[in-house]
Amino acid sequence: MPFVVKVAWRYLLSSRLQTALLLSGVAIGVIAVVFITALLGGLKIYLIRQTTENIPHVTLEQPDQLATFLPGDPAARQIYVRLKTKDRREQILQWRSAMAIVGRTGGIAAAAPLIFGSGFVLRGQALAPVSVQGVEPEKLDAISPISPKIVAGSAMVDLQALLIGVTLADDLGLRVGQPVVLRSDRGRERTLVVRGIYRTGLGNLDERTAYVHIKTARTLFDLPQGVSEIDIKLADLNAADEYAARLGAATGLKATSWISRNKQIFLALDNQARTGTMIKFFAMLTIMIGVASALLLTTFRRRAEIGIMRAMGLSRRFIVGVFLLQGVFIGLGGALLGAASGFALASLLGLNAIQNGGTGLPIDAAEGSYIEGILVTTLCGLLAALLPARAAARIDPMDAINQ
Amino acid sequence: MIIASPLVRIRDLVKTFGEGETATRVLKGVDLDLQAAEFVALLGPSGSGKSTLMSIIGTLMRPTSGELSMLGRSLIGMAEDELTEFRNSYLGFVFQAHHLLPDFTAEENVCFPAAGRAGFERAADRARAASLLERVGLADRRAYRATQLSGGQKQRVALARALMNKPQLVLADEPTGNLDRESSDQVLHLLREMNKELRTTFLITTHDEGVAAFCDRRIHILDGKVAETAGAAP
Ligand SMILES: Nc1ncnc2c1ncn2[C@@H]1O[C@H](COP(=O)(O)OP(=O)(O)OP(=O)(O)O)[C@@H](O)[C@H]1O
Ligand SMILES: [Mg+2]
Repeated sequence: MPFVVKVAWRYLLSSRLQTALLLSGVAIGVIAVVFITALLGGLKIYLIRQTTENIPHVTLEQPDQLATFLPGDPAARQIYVRLKTKDRREQILQWRSAMAIVGRTGGIAAAAPLIFGSGFVLRGQALAPVSVQGVEPEKLDAISPISPKIVAGSAMVDLQALLIGVTLADDLGLRVGQPVVLRSDRGRERTLVVRGIYRTGLGNLDERTAYVHIKTARTLFDLPQGVSEIDIKLADLNAADEYAARLGAATGLKATSWISRNKQIFLALDNQARTGTMIKFFAMLTIMIGVASALLLTTFRRRAEIGIMRAMGLSRRFIVGVFLLQGVFIGLGGALLGAASGFALASLLGLNAIQNGGTGLPIDAAEGSYIEGILVTTLCGLLAALLPARAAARIDPMDAINQ
Repeated sequence: MIIASPLVRIRDLVKTFGEGETATRVLKGVDLDLQAAEFVALLGPSGSGKSTLMSIIGTLMRPTSGELSMLGRSLIGMAEDELTEFRNSYLGFVFQAHHLLPDFTAEENVCFPAAGRAGFERAADRARAASLLERVGLADRRAYRATQLSGGQKQRVALARALMNKPQLVLADEPTGNLDRESSDQVLHLLREMNKELRTTFLITTHDEGVAAFCDRRIHILDGKVAETAGAAP
């Protein structure tokens, strides 16, 4: 072991109380950092999961009919413009080939064609507006898991089936097995049977959405061939932007990722991250001030010894090394201690949150920044020791001898 | 006849503390030579500048003016880090207060100057430290902390430490000042034996006539100058 390491180590060991206090001080700072990163990381995962649970990661639609220039006669100084028109329905006519392209792409968890439109559910004199989702029966759960949320009836989607949420069912006094009339905004009507009632906890779905068979939707909305959109779930939801670009280019359709539709979430997460950075910064600053003042005190207490070392011909660099190493040891030791306790605490609280049915803080111990915390804290220990090391190296050997 | 150049050569050495009105001129032109293997007492009344002169020779303090050279090298213009190395290689100190490092064992204290130079506590150095401790009669106290030793024992450890790097000159400022008669005699005899064995030069300040009589040569400082030297002529 290098002698300078031995001396630094011995100094720490011989002032046990001071060293113990310093280590616990550093450890508490690191626990705070681990805790805050585990909380923010857990919160991020929780928020994203909440957001994406019931929505597609990528949506494919017919591109907007934008106003376009038509080739004209340049000599005639005239241009021809095709205006955006509303007379054509927004639908994907070649949806089968688009589905085939999507099917050949790796990393897709599920893809479902969908016809949607607006309509009303009528029962007697009562009437409620709904957003109608026409789905392929086997793909009912592809985007939003409905069947696990069924509270009455079943999730069977046949040609007569209507699945509605509990709020809507309560509003209209509907029960499973009752017939109702669904009127589309195209003026078509079909009599359907309530097959299942679901409760998702999301107001939008529980109050204003109704699921029907895609073929039923075709007749309701006058779409004999096309579909409204193709909804896609990805294996990796963080890659939604890249997939949107790729699928958009491959199918010629307008592809939108959930990320671009939920910018506000990322804005909020960014703000949280900034708060986290502030907290980390102040934790590190506190650690540095604590370590620096304690080591500075040590240089005064050991003034005579340092002077005698200098008289023995030990270099100023040696003295600097002894103090820098003390800072590093305290930083590293406290950081390891803090990272371990922080992990234990975060695991405990995270587990607690799960056991309480997700009512606690969404702490995720795996999200704590341990390695970064340990490295930065060790560096802070080193930086904190700079000033004391300089002070120690400046001690005049004469001071020691005159004491 | 070949006259060997002295180990330490001091000419017209002046030391003034402070500036202007409060300036105190402590050394007012000291001329002094120390020869290799000499055993010298530095005497003088309290406040005469003995410790000041020792510190200057020990390169712990810079003189205001004058010449100081050792082993033929002038120490006046040397940079701080060079002086540190010089101290480590050629000088040893024994102070009135032992100044052992309290968190280290006797052996570690003795080893310190060598380990500081090498960067490691080498086995050979530890062996030398052990044999030096044996030489000063403390073989059984090797693993004791400095705080667990008596005053006389501490001073003997300090002597072993001063000799660790085989210095040319050991500066001992009242090495027996804090000791009782018995311990004092023990330490003094050790200094003398080491001087004979290792041919190390010793410069010892003291107020004790007995100690002074024990030395080869006595140098008196009076009014900032070397007043008289007695004993073996330089
Ligand atoms: N750092 C200093 N600043 C100002 N004056 C000093 C300083 N060091 C020593 N002196 C003065 O220099 C003079 C000589 O001091 P020094 O310690 O060399 O005396 P000494 O001969 O060793 O005395 P003693 O026998 O009591 O140890 C004293 O008057 C002292 O006050
Ligand atoms: Mg003195």
